[in-house]
Amino acid sequence: MIRLSFISISCLLLVASCSTKIISTNIYQEQKENLDNIERHYEKLNPANHFSLAFTDTKFNIVSLEMITDTLTRIYEFNVTEKRLVDSLIKFNYDTAGIYYLIRKMQQSKVTWINSFDYYVNDLPQQLIILSIKPVTIRYIFSPPKYVALAYFRTNQFFDEKGRLLDGRRTKEVRKIKGQVFYKITDRICYTITEKYR
Amino acid sequence: MFLIHEKSTAGNLLSEINSTKKEALDFIDKIDQTKENSLWPNVKSKLFYDNLKLNLEKPLSFYPGRSTNFCSYGALSYLVMEKDPLGYVKFMNELYEKGEAIFNNNHFKPSDAVMNAAGTLKFKGVLDIRHAEQMWFLVLADKFKGYLNFFDKKFNEGDENSFWAATNLGKFDRMVNKMCGVHVKAVGSDLIKPWVKDDYSYLSKRIDSNTVSLYINNRIIHKKNHDKIKFSIPTHFIILRQIRKDGDMITLRYWDYGGETEMQITSRTLKKIIFGIITIDK
Repeated sequence: MIRLSFISISCLLLVASCSTKIISTNIYQEQKENLDNIERHYEKLNPANHFSLAFTDTKFNIVSLEMITDTLTRIYEFNVTEKRLVDSLIKFNYDTAGIYYLIRKMQQSKVTWINSFDYYVNDLPQQLIILSIKPVTIRYIFSPPKYVALAYFRTNQFFDEKGRLLDGRRTKEVRKIKGQVFYKITDRICYTITEKYR
Repeated sequence: MFLIHEKSTAGNLLSEINSTKKEALDFIDKIDQTKENSLWPNVKSKLFYDNLKLNLEKPLSFYPGRSTNFCSYGALSYLVMEKDPLGYVKFMNELYEKGEAIFNNNHFKPSDAVMNAAGTLKFKGVLDIRHAEQMWFLVLADKFKGYLNFFDKKFNEGDENSFWAATNLGKFDRMVNKMCGVHVKAVGSDLIKPWVKDDYSYLSKRIDSNTVSLYINNRIIHKKNHDKIKFSIPTHFIILRQIRKDGDMITLRYWDYGGETEMQITSRTLKKIIFGIITIDK
């Protein structure tokens, strides 16, 4: 009997291990104002000195800062309270107050990564901003983590009847970003559920 | 063979393959750069030749693309451009014109699927508009095979991100030896870390007189999720450009995606990430 229960529990665990459940199905609408604010703030800071931010721990204390120029990318990891962070921002002429504000907002909204991507339409460069959120999940043993990634385009995009992001107006080809299909939230913003935050 | 403790590859040494950037630029200036070619239906001639010129002017700008498995071919490009830029442009021009070409006695005749795919890779960053690099990376992945490619040898759409394009340490050594005609010495393996007492000393001794490439587990220094348990496997090839030590902190400067990256890590992390050290004759 004990053996049977053990086998049943093991089977249940194995079945349950297949998926991680995200508690809220409406993360963007719930945090719309904060998330849009983070995106706008990053968009304002980024062109002057290109950078990306990622929180590499679950408590949102350790930040990986990538400072990007045409020829050199510097990658440093700091505790957000460390003086080395402010020293590095000053040394490389970043807007220190602006980036600290962004870090605080990202911590509050559990945004684990923000970066900008270049892509090309008719051989002309375009940009989008991606931010990943660490949602509250029910996670079973061996199940992969889940993140919600939001893509903010600068212009309206095209979607099919299932809400999937398309490559352009005259195509039915689904556009994948980092191998992921994205779904419509607004004409300019779409989302995907992913196992990697970047 | 996927386990190599220390292996030297020197089977294909060629003595006179060096050329200069100027020779390569002179060659490319004499080519008709407007000709389209139906063999490569999606490669645009302007993007192709502009890309070749960029490769010559700024060889560090080679960009293997976002989310692809082209990093080993990127590292190889760095070595090829150091050795033989003229050979590279001649090869690419012939490949574009005839659909097949020879580079240092290696005959390349890519499959139809690869020829159709070149020029179509999208959402890979600036690789989208670099049609010569798309062609180069696809053709290299099509030609060189290792055990990681065993179950996926034929190109299908999207395979630039899959095992079709993957490279293990032994395959990388072979590619470098065959394409650059240089002596290659590798320590390490695909699963077990190199038997080196002090990685910093080992690397700093070799970096001035050789080109050093590293086969690393990039997931430790470039985390993609918050899981604490991670597979300890190598995922990325880089070219080490500088290394210095300050206390226990090691600053690495390396080339990978179209430019240099500088990163500070501890000696312990350095030991954790390195699976292969490939020393290549300059």
